[in-house]
Amino acid sequence: MVKSDFQGWLNNMGYMDKSLTYIHEAILKGEVTPLDLVKEAIELAKKDTNNAFEYICEKEALDSVSKLDSSKKNNLLYGIPVVIKDNFSTKDIPTTGSSNILNGYVPVFSSEVVTRLENEGAIVIAKSTMDELAMGGSGTTGHLGVTYNPWDKEKIYQVGGSSCGSAAAVSAGIVPFALGSDTGDSVRKPASFAALVGFKPTWGRISRFGLFPFATSLDHVAYFTRNVYDSAYMLNILAGRDDKDASSSFNKVEDYTANLSNPIKGKKIAVIKAIIDSISDKEVLSAFNKSLDYLKEQGAEIDVVNVDVKLLKAIYPTYIIISCAEATSNNANLDGIKFGNRIEGESFEEVMLNTRTNGFSPLIKRRFVIGSFSLLKENQDELFVRAQKCRRLIVNAFNKVFEKYDAIYCPAAPSIAPLIKGSSNNLSDEYLIADNYMAFANMGGYPSITLPIGFEKNMPFGANLTAKPFQETVLLNIAKVIENGTGLKDLVAKRD
Amino acid sequence: MELEAVIGLEIHVEMKTKSKMFSSGPVSFGDDPNTNVNVVDMAFPGILPTVNKQAVINAIRVSHALNMKICDLVTFERKNYFYSDLPKGYQITQQFHPIGSDGFLTIKTSSGEKKIGIERLHMEEDTCKQLHSWDFSLLDYNRAGIPLIEIVSRPEMRSGEEAAKYVEKIRSIVTFLDVSDGKMEEGSLRCDVNISLREKGSTKFGTKVEIKNLNSLANIQKAIDFEISRQSIILEFGGQIEQETRRFDEGSKETVLMRVKTDAVDYKYFTDPNIAPIQLSKEFIEDAIKTSPELAESKLVRYRELGLNEYDSSLLIADKDVSVYFDEGLKSGCSAKLLTNWVIGDVQSYLNKEGISIKEFHVSSLELGKLISLIEKGDVSNKQARDVFAEMIKSHKDASTLIKEMGLSQVSDESELISVIKEVIDANPQSAVDYKAGKDRAIGFIVGQVMKKTQGKANPALANKLILEEINRR
Repeated sequence: MVKSDFQGWLNNMGYMDKSLTYIHEAILKGEVTPLDLVKEAIELAKKDTNNAFEYICEKEALDSVSKLDSSKKNNLLYGIPVVIKDNFSTKDIPTTGSSNILNGYVPVFSSEVVTRLENEGAIVIAKSTMDELAMGGSGTTGHLGVTYNPWDKEKIYQVGGSSCGSAAAVSAGIVPFALGSDTGDSVRKPASFAALVGFKPTWGRISRFGLFPFATSLDHVAYFTRNVYDSAYMLNILAGRDDKDASSSFNKVEDYTANLSNPIKGKKIAVIKAIIDSISDKEVLSAFNKSLDYLKEQGAEIDVVNVDVKLLKAIYPTYIIISCAEATSNNANLDGIKFGNRIEGESFEEVMLNTRTNGFSPLIKRRFVIGSFSLLKENQDELFVRAQKCRRLIVNAFNKVFEKYDAIYCPAAPSIAPLIKGSSNNLSDEYLIADNYMAFANMGGYPSITLPIGFEKNMPFGANLTAKPFQETVLLNIAKVIENGTGLKDLVAKRD
Repeated sequence: MELEAVIGLEIHVEMKTKSKMFSSGPVSFGDDPNTNVNVVDMAFPGILPTVNKQAVINAIRVSHALNMKICDLVTFERKNYFYSDLPKGYQITQQFHPIGSDGFLTIKTSSGEKKIGIERLHMEEDTCKQLHSWDFSLLDYNRAGIPLIEIVSRPEMRSGEEAAKYVEKIRSIVTFLDVSDGKMEEGSLRCDVNISLREKGSTKFGTKVEIKNLNSLANIQKAIDFEISRQSIILEFGGQIEQETRRFDEGSKETVLMRVKTDAVDYKYFTDPNIAPIQLSKEFIEDAIKTSPELAESKLVRYRELGLNEYDSSLLIADKDVSVYFDEGLKSGCSAKLLTNWVIGDVQSYLNKEGISIKEFHVSSLELGKLISLIEKGDVSNKQARDVFAEMIKSHKDASTLIKEMGLSQVSDESELISVIKEVIDANPQSAVDYKAGKDRAIGFIVGQVMKKTQGKANPALANKLILEEINRR
């Protein structure tokens, strides 16, 4: 194949399955225009068979492209199509949180992160499906139904949630970047199931203004890319103080791409024994151990560390109580009085009752009941306050690990993606520990990243790396080394 | 059986900050409905609260004025309940750690001074305003999110008079501190009364009734007095008081039943995770107090030191705007006593006649002070000054310009006066002789002639003195 033929073949392949830097270079070289890119992404989105999208913003995207400021051409995101999870408020673009209660809601303002993306020249081409109001981990509970895993042509495996549509869009090669949110592991878990890099920085590092709240104290803006460099670069854009979010940090924003290729000699990494012990999948353990060997080769010091199993098993129930309690209050504004899918009634009480009864699925109502129950005066000490105390103990235990270690490294899930129709044993160690431990990073607000480490039955699985608050630079540096070791980057599921 | 009333008050004060308690939406009163609203006030999905710093400063100042302990860790809780006036489905308030606690204030009643304990003072946000019609309700979100201070007294008041005095004092404090305009009739100061009766000397509490919608000091007193007698009659006849909420009906001057209280609502309070606890530094608190506007009580002390009597001083501090007007006028350097007389006399009667407030009065107190200084110097007489003042109101011109234009300035220049006096005595030698012979009346004639020659502008006192000197010299 002569070079020009190869170039032509590449062009036919399109750009949306490439990395951000690759696409950016192509724009700078004049190989492709933002309009070409947006058309490509929208075509791909329209052909999507994984139920990844709530709304494809074709008209809005074409309009945005025509208004691009070419003086911003050097911005990495200039003209690059992106997808936004449907729980980020987007001005003039319907935003439902994949819940019927918000059918027809068109926000009048954009989330801070969406504004930042657009200021950098990114073009929002679609809003992605999610588990209803981000409460779920399977990608099966949104009002548009099941979102499928692009790696599985049989459509029997989950893609994971709650950021299912964003994960599907990036792993299917429709866009190189998608915003998600992570309250328990809602980006980092689907990243594992879809061969993506899923990253949530420190709580407060990125403004939450405009993100529909699920559980405020655990909610993080997070996102998917297909390699560690792109993740680091995106943090440069998204991080920073926002006066509209009182919890956003004043800490200086670093250049997170600057130290990616630093040597990691002497870096101390902890592997949590009970998490490994609870995993039975040999392929996962073997790929994980291979990545550990590579880290050791690169000079990292790896120790297997004990964290009290009781605390690890307490992560999930603690998470459930706190998240449901906060969720029931956070979603109390959805009452049909001011906006949303109002169902009329004889009195305001009836309007609220009808709207909420019709608008939320039974799963959501179940969470609200758990949340309200644990906040009731007679239960609050026993449930909500106790869960908060337990959270403190869990965070203390991990802080203790972080006193000696730069990062904690474990498989992100006990296996490849579960079956859509599968059932899990909710009381097994594997479920309670390996399947749900990643919420510790939400409880402590730690920066945490998942990246692919292997495949089994042609389905991917990943590992998770977590560091101390505001140590994103160290975290991304180690993650990059793991990525070098596995060679698993820029992975895209074969299109149908 | 001798009964005594046990009365506690909950007062909500709307702050007049520039923006709302947790949003940048503007605070403004009397505008068209739903014009001072942003997405935060409407609780659109994804909004977040940010704490209004001035509101915290205000709360510190009021807490300090009420002799309260100030909590240096500011936290906010969510009070969760569903209601049509509540945009978020919860109200952000301070349940667990109110910024002010355990204070008191001293009131003066017809039976002497009394210290009233204050349990707590906390910050919260107002709900939206509702207008209910028979088949629909209107919601005005302008009010949603306006910063409120809630002040909860201990149940230590015993009469309508005490309660009214207590509210009056609180109103004075919040208005003098520039925290609120304190207008009960417009709802910027709202008062709920909790009242029960018990046998005198008992330490147990009776069943309590809540009275709402009290929009004036007089109504607070009337409502409580009525409620005391209503409950007394029930108890005297062996009846029982129902736990209920009543409102005061202005027409009948009675309290009427609104609703019977059922079990208390469980508000499921928990700390708002969007607002990390704010640690106030010692300097911040001290600075808020140090830069606090002057309270009525301290103005009173200052006025007494200026030599004003108690009655005049109390008239000046009865209305914060009047005292501010007065203080501004003092800067002209004029006599405090004269300024007081003008402010509580001429100025006030003009305002009364026009039915306007002193804030709407266009003659600045500095200009008034200058006019008073001219009286003191003897440049104009009192009577002339009144004419000038009337002209100042009409023409918007300043005093000295008007005095010139009206040709009113008195001749107080001695050499000018002496030459006129000499002329007059030279022309009327007999009068001087008569005076020396003991005819006191003769002096009047000479004064009259001097006034005539100066077209009434001679300073009468000075002229009198100079005439006598001149006659005695001859």
